[in-house]
Amino acid sequence: MMLTYKLALRNIFRNTRRTILTVMLIGFSLAALILADAVTSGMIKVMVESVTKTISGEAQIHKKGFRENLDIDLYLENSSTIEGQLAADDRVKAYSPRVIAAGMISSSYNVSSGAVYGVDGEQEATVSKLKEAIVEGEYLSDSPTEILIGRPMAELLEIGLGDRIVITLAEADTGELSQALFRVSGVFFFGMREFDENFVFVNIDKAREVVNIRNASHEIALLFHDSDISATDTQAVLSELNQGDIEALDWRSLFPEITSVLEMSGFSSVIIGSILFLLASLGVINSMFMSIYERIYEFGVAKAIGTKPRQLLQLILFEGFLIALISCAFGIAVGGSLGLYYEINGIPLGEFEFAGVALSNAIPTVLSINQFTHFPIYVILLTLTATLYPARFAAKIVPSEALQKSL
Amino acid sequence: MSSVITTQNLSRHFQDGENIIKAVDDVSLNIEAGEFTAIIGPSGSGKSTLLNLIGGLDNPTSGAVELSGTDIAKMSGSALSDFRRDHIGFIFQSYNLIPVLSAEENIEYIMLLQGVDTATRKKRVKEMLHVVGLEGLGDRRPSHLSGGQQQRVAIARAMASHPDIILADEPTANLDSKTGIALLEVMKSLNEDRGMTFIFSTHDNKIMDRARRLVHVLDGKVDQEELK
Repeated sequence: MMLTYKLALRNIFRNTRRTILTVMLIGFSLAALILADAVTSGMIKVMVESVTKTISGEAQIHKKGFRENLDIDLYLENSSTIEGQLAADDRVKAYSPRVIAAGMISSSYNVSSGAVYGVDGEQEATVSKLKEAIVEGEYLSDSPTEILIGRPMAELLEIGLGDRIVITLAEADTGELSQALFRVSGVFFFGMREFDENFVFVNIDKAREVVNIRNASHEIALLFHDSDISATDTQAVLSELNQGDIEALDWRSLFPEITSVLEMSGFSSVIIGSILFLLASLGVINSMFMSIYERIYEFGVAKAIGTKPRQLLQLILFEGFLIALISCAFGIAVGGSLGLYYEINGIPLGEFEFAGVALSNAIPTVLSINQFTHFPIYVILLTLTATLYPARFAAKIVPSEALQKSL
Repeated sequence: MSSVITTQNLSRHFQDGENIIKAVDDVSLNIEAGEFTAIIGPSGSGKSTLLNLIGGLDNPTSGAVELSGTDIAKMSGSALSDFRRDHIGFIFQSYNLIPVLSAEENIEYIMLLQGVDTATRKKRVKEMLHVVGLEGLGDRRPSHLSGGQQQRVAIARAMASHPDIILADEPTANLDSKTGIALLEVMKSLNEDRGMTFIFSTHDNKIMDRARRLVHVLDGKVDQEELK
């Protein structure tokens, strides 16, 4: 076997240029796969964070049926009990109760429909990015008349900081119309059209008063210590909260369309990887065949003097294995370096909205150990598979035909 | 002397469209141990095909090839590989050394295939290099050896496995006259001193002059045998 190793090692450097080209072909494919996966993982992370950290949280608690048409009557009467339960649960990182009501938002110049969110300023800041999204004015304090409004809505209503807004809502249970006057204390911009054009935020106590649901809320948004929503602990919390007419759902259930998009992203990575490796495999087959055709006479001699087909097969496979190893080292170095660079600097994709989710202008790649262990193993296995065909060809060489020019 | 090769009604036919080419046609031949025999004939007469069949590199259409009492025509691929490795030494026209191995490693290669232990291999490599007059050049790769030196390594490789016979196909064809004669003297002395059996396929008068037996082949048949 030692001679096989020695022969294989020396053989792959017989035509250094071809070996380098083959190594680059496989190595760059691996690097591209690592990078593509790192970019996809980065986009997924940004998308998930956009969904969960912007406003929605990693999970939400509602009364069953509320989500379907934001029925103001379906509020959590025992909101404070649930909040107490959440406060005592060390698996829960933060939570924020919200009163949500659809209403008319009027300025002196214009009228718009929208969703009024009553939130606790302090608690909301631990769950969502509302505080960070303020681009003008101040975040919520405890003043009952303050209101935060999205920049596009402010433009529509032709108002600015300090201007008055009247909100008209239907009261819970009775359906009586209720009006309240607010003054714009801050303007926010999330970069998500749906939020910026339709949402306004007021203090929760004032919202409860207007809607007439003392101490109750329509929604409680949660963040967990373990961001992996599939984690057993996280699912256990949700399971404990799901009782009676109360539903506690993670973001995957709340936003199935986002989950589908993420699944499709994973699927597209598999397709891209398959195409890359199909091309690389064809390159390997071509390269190995060229190497074998150059050595047919030599193989004829080797077989004539007693080398068995199995030994030739081993030799060619080992050459393929060595090329794969060198390629993996090269691919890992290139893919890892680029991945690391873009992990720090982000890939500038510009500002865009994907599946209703706003993505920031630089997506940082996400590197994981799998990219540097599983992918190279796939590369080695695929290279060996691609080498098998030319190796079998070499093993089947008939010495008398290979030596035809001489014997 | 005992018979080392016997062919009985040996034939090898090739199909070329509708024509059948009888490259070797009903050849019965007996070669004794220790012979220094040359198969001679014009190009296309079938001498190379005959050598292929004797060496187990090709399968006959009909007939038998017995080498040291074993009918190699009936052997399967793997058994035939083993048989060639242990009983036949080959010397080719174009030296055909493995270019990435040194002279020593080329000689050692066949012994590794045989499973010979390291100490014996090293000893035999040294001995073979001495026999072919290449002491001190064992660590050179073929590209750093002259044609004559490479062919000497090929002879050493052929001998290293201690075969029953050595089959040499035009071994001097690519060498100048002086180098060719020197090489033939090496083989002749191996034949005389060690009783090694050599069978050549050749056009070379130098080999014909030194061969003790000439087998003339014409149109696939043994036309004439000449014992000197």
